[in-house]
Amino acid sequence: MTIPANLKYTKDHEWVRIDGDIATFGISDHAQEALGDIVFVELPDIGRELDAGEAYAVVESVKAVSDVYTPVAGEVVEVNDGLEAEPEHVNTDAYGAGWIAKVKISADTASVELMTDDEYTTFLEE
Amino acid sequence: MNNNTSKYSATQGIQHEEALLFEHAHEAPESIHLPGVEGAVPEALQAFMRQQPANIPGLSEPEAVRHFVRLSQWNHGIETGFYPLGSCTMKYNPRVNEQVARLPGLAHIHPDQPEDTVQGALELLYEVQQWLGEISGLPYVTLQPAAGAHGELAGLMMIRACLDARGDTKRRTVLVPDSAHGTNPASAALCGMHTVELKSGADGRIDLAELKAHLNNETAALMMTNPNTAGAFESDIKEICQLVHDAGGLVYGDGANLNALVGVARPGDMGLDCLHINVHKTFATPHGGGGPGAGPVAVNDTLKPYLPVPRIVKDGENYYLESTSDTSIGSILSTLGQSGVYVRANAYISAYGRQSLYKIAEDAVLNANYVLHRLKDVYHVPFEGVCKHECLLTDELQNKHGIKTLDIAKRLIDLGFHPMTVYFPLIVHGAMLIEPTETESRETLDSFCDAMLEIAAQCEAGETDLLHDAPLSPIRRRLDETQAARKPVLVWPQ
Amino acid sequence: MRFLPHTDTDRSAMLESMGAASIADLFADIPAELHLERGQLNIADALSEAGIVRKFTKASEKNRNATNTRYFLGGGTYNHFVPAVVDYVISRGEFLTAYTPYQPEIAQGTLQALFEFQTMIARLTGMDVSNASMYEAATATAEAALMARRVSRKKRVVIAGSVNPRYRSVTANYLSRLDGECIEVAMGNDTADFGTDMDRLIASIDDSTACVIVQYPDFYGSVYDLAALRAACDANKCLMVVAFSDVTAFALIESPGAMGADIAVGSGQSLGIPMAFGGPHLGLFTCKQKYLRQMPGRVCGLTRDADGKRGFVLTLSTREQHIRREKATSNICTNQGLMCTAAATYMSLMGDAGLATIAQRSAAALQMLVSRLPDHVSAAAGAHYNENVISFANQSARDRFLNIAQAQDIFAGIALEKIDVHAEPRHLLVSTTEMIEEADINDYLAALEAASE
Repeated sequence: MTIPANLKYTKDHEWVRIDGDIATFGISDHAQEALGDIVFVELPDIGRELDAGEAYAVVESVKAVSDVYTPVAGEVVEVNDGLEAEPEHVNTDAYGAGWIAKVKISADTASVELMTDDEYTTFLEE
Repeated sequence: MNNNTSKYSATQGIQHEEALLFEHAHEAPESIHLPGVEGAVPEALQAFMRQQPANIPGLSEPEAVRHFVRLSQWNHGIETGFYPLGSCTMKYNPRVNEQVARLPGLAHIHPDQPEDTVQGALELLYEVQQWLGEISGLPYVTLQPAAGAHGELAGLMMIRACLDARGDTKRRTVLVPDSAHGTNPASAALCGMHTVELKSGADGRIDLAELKAHLNNETAALMMTNPNTAGAFESDIKEICQLVHDAGGLVYGDGANLNALVGVARPGDMGLDCLHINVHKTFATPHGGGGPGAGPVAVNDTLKPYLPVPRIVKDGENYYLESTSDTSIGSILSTLGQSGVYVRANAYISAYGRQSLYKIAEDAVLNANYVLHRLKDVYHVPFEGVCKHECLLTDELQNKHGIKTLDIAKRLIDLGFHPMTVYFPLIVHGAMLIEPTETESRETLDSFCDAMLEIAAQCEAGETDLLHDAPLSPIRRRLDETQAARKPVLVWPQ
Repeated sequence: MRFLPHTDTDRSAMLESMGAASIADLFADIPAELHLERGQLNIADALSEAGIVRKFTKASEKNRNATNTRYFLGGGTYNHFVPAVVDYVISRGEFLTAYTPYQPEIAQGTLQALFEFQTMIARLTGMDVSNASMYEAATATAEAALMARRVSRKKRVVIAGSVNPRYRSVTANYLSRLDGECIEVAMGNDTADFGTDMDRLIASIDDSTACVIVQYPDFYGSVYDLAALRAACDANKCLMVVAFSDVTAFALIESPGAMGADIAVGSGQSLGIPMAFGGPHLGLFTCKQKYLRQMPGRVCGLTRDADGKRGFVLTLSTREQHIRREKATSNICTNQGLMCTAAATYMSLMGDAGLATIAQRSAAALQMLVSRLPDHVSAAAGAHYNENVISFANQSARDRFLNIAQAQDIFAGIALEKIDVHAEPRHLLVSTTEMIEEADINDYLAALEAASE
């Protein structure tokens, strides 16, 4: 299981990478492992305004469904259409080809609590 | 492989591969000879004629029969062997019930023909209506719901109507134990209510403190299954009902597990307001590979005014359908119900009658406890004590050998048995819920228990490959459910 | 008791083996005051098997039925021919006594039959995909409305008044406890001819509308074009839901799919399933591929087994109640599985040619009847499949005819006001199938003549 150092993590096992005012989201390696083989990802509509902590996508395995929550508030600017045909990217490359959505961060809202890789590692161990 | 395995195995007949209907690629034979008026298509319809044929493959009768008989031989049914699916009550389905349901005056009658021409059918259905009221202790019954989940919806609609009539329009919360069937929260949502989950107590039963903590002025109902899905009777049932009633709510019973109580105790006497009955479970109508069922709902005086219409009413010696009522929740089906299912249920109750009905519950409970007793030292039993009609085990002791419930289930197939219900209820990890039913002999129960013990022994002996690879005997081995869901192919391409 | 294998000796030995003194020990967790005295319920005395056959035969003989009476009754349930093979196949214990195919390795028979059923239903309705059944047509229509609300993320549902009143009332009932309105657009009953008033229907659509539900052929048997409605739906980004009650129509007339339906639902009872006094029947549910993830009910899908052989499983189950619980697409669990096997068997026996013959003869019989009606009654004009409304001068004229016909072993139609509360009690909904012969129509017309005298 990998936990890249350049990302931030949430208690709901999402990862976020922030480049300027754009945040890219996905679910962590731990989360994809717990869900098992991903068979479908329901993506948000582009242009949708999200509050921090809002459920914006749904990840499905054969026998489980999990909501995915946005760690920061903003507007959805891009989604990973590739997951429609190949949802397995979430399993095989959770931090790369398995990204789910990109959001333009709104300046005036607080984000949910984010952890560093070390903090997330500790959180998983607890 | 262990030599003595073979004594448990289902006899393997010749198993044929069988193509899809669409692959029987030859020109369609001469059309089946049909009755009717050989007239022209009316002129007014000509503008609407179908342009492309549907491509429904037509087979000759011998080909069609062989196709479906071969498919049938890939199936395991109650008539083939033991089928201990927990909370499903897979008991023997008497053949005479099939015979009488096919009598022309019962099978070939229209729901809208004049009532005076269907008095015999109405009489049979009325009888079932009354008997289900008597058996449940909730005297007023609707036959309209088509299955258990449909009954849940009907029951919750009645509860909501009753609360609304009291002016209690803020009560929209349904309390559901975490051991409940998934249909319970789904039905509540469909009725415009939301569910709050009650965490089960350490004994798998409803925790009174947890219940009290969640009862308030928004509580519409408690939705419960008794015996619950862990196979345990809720011994505090009267207190539970009292607490809910005192808080202004009503108690809904999921009757999936009524087989443990029939003729022995009645949900109405326990304080429940409403109960749906799974006729295809308790009253032995065949499951048919997923349906049809019937989910009649029995209610007490509190909910009687809200019963769906139509209801069958008796006036003197005549039966008729009562279709109007000011307080009814209305209709939830286009007909009066799954009549053919109730004809079979009537025949089933008639066979036991007043004298013997209780024997169903007694032998069902006896059999479940017998299985529990024989397996309890080898499989983990999460909740102590006697069970009712089903017993709950887990794979905890097998996990250390890398064996999970799924492997045990699949290995049972190789040993000639249908697996138990797996991974339900959700309150324990790796659940195995075994419901033998009353129609199984001691010999069958013993051979099943022997197979379960053999599997446990194979775990201990490290023969894990055998279990991971199972099943090896049926026409297909483990199927790739991930591929099926990732790239769904639900129809054969043209 | 012949269904119980144990002898008292078995019972004692089993109890002894587990250290129980008596069966009562196993029920000790039920409080004493709740125990019933055994054998005292107020139900009938036990019957032998011979006694059961006698009782049910007697009840059966009290009912007029399709073996001794000509049925011109439809309205959602039809007396089509049922080949012996269909009943034989679904009487096989392996199909009849199996549970839902949760263990696919030993349920491939049910699963392949479901896959064949889904394929043939999709082809017949002209839709992309079919599920593995709903209870019947009214609940299927209600589920279609709920699905359209999820797909469109809108809440207003419009139903044409020419949809079977029972489908309408069940749908309205399902929706009445949820947010959003359900509009019934009156039509047919208050126009000169029964049928669908397309202009009025289209005028009722706005951009808050989730779906429009029409029936095709409609409840009164009318066949009409849906192109204008499709365009109106596109303009308002709402779904077009097409309901139907006799699916054999689509072997003759254009399918709902070809008419542009997003969701098509209805009854499959005509496909080899007896009328059975209202059930078990078969609810059909089909939709476009792109809406698949919002479809309710079980579906069977193709896959491979561990050896790479083709096989089938229930799939997309995350939509269903046992996984998504409160957020499931529907609460349905038990469906009408055996009826799918019946319909698959039926369709394979008929093929395109047989189905087309059935549809042609069903329509031809109605046409023959309507074209020869005497002057004192009238039928609605326009294209009809196998149902139409015959109007009499008044209720007494109609009821006199119904009685005369019944005396001639004919159920001549459904008094419309019994189903359609807005209808006048002088209308008769008449329906025909391939089970109606020319001689039956002659007798029907003779009864009409007799009633006019």
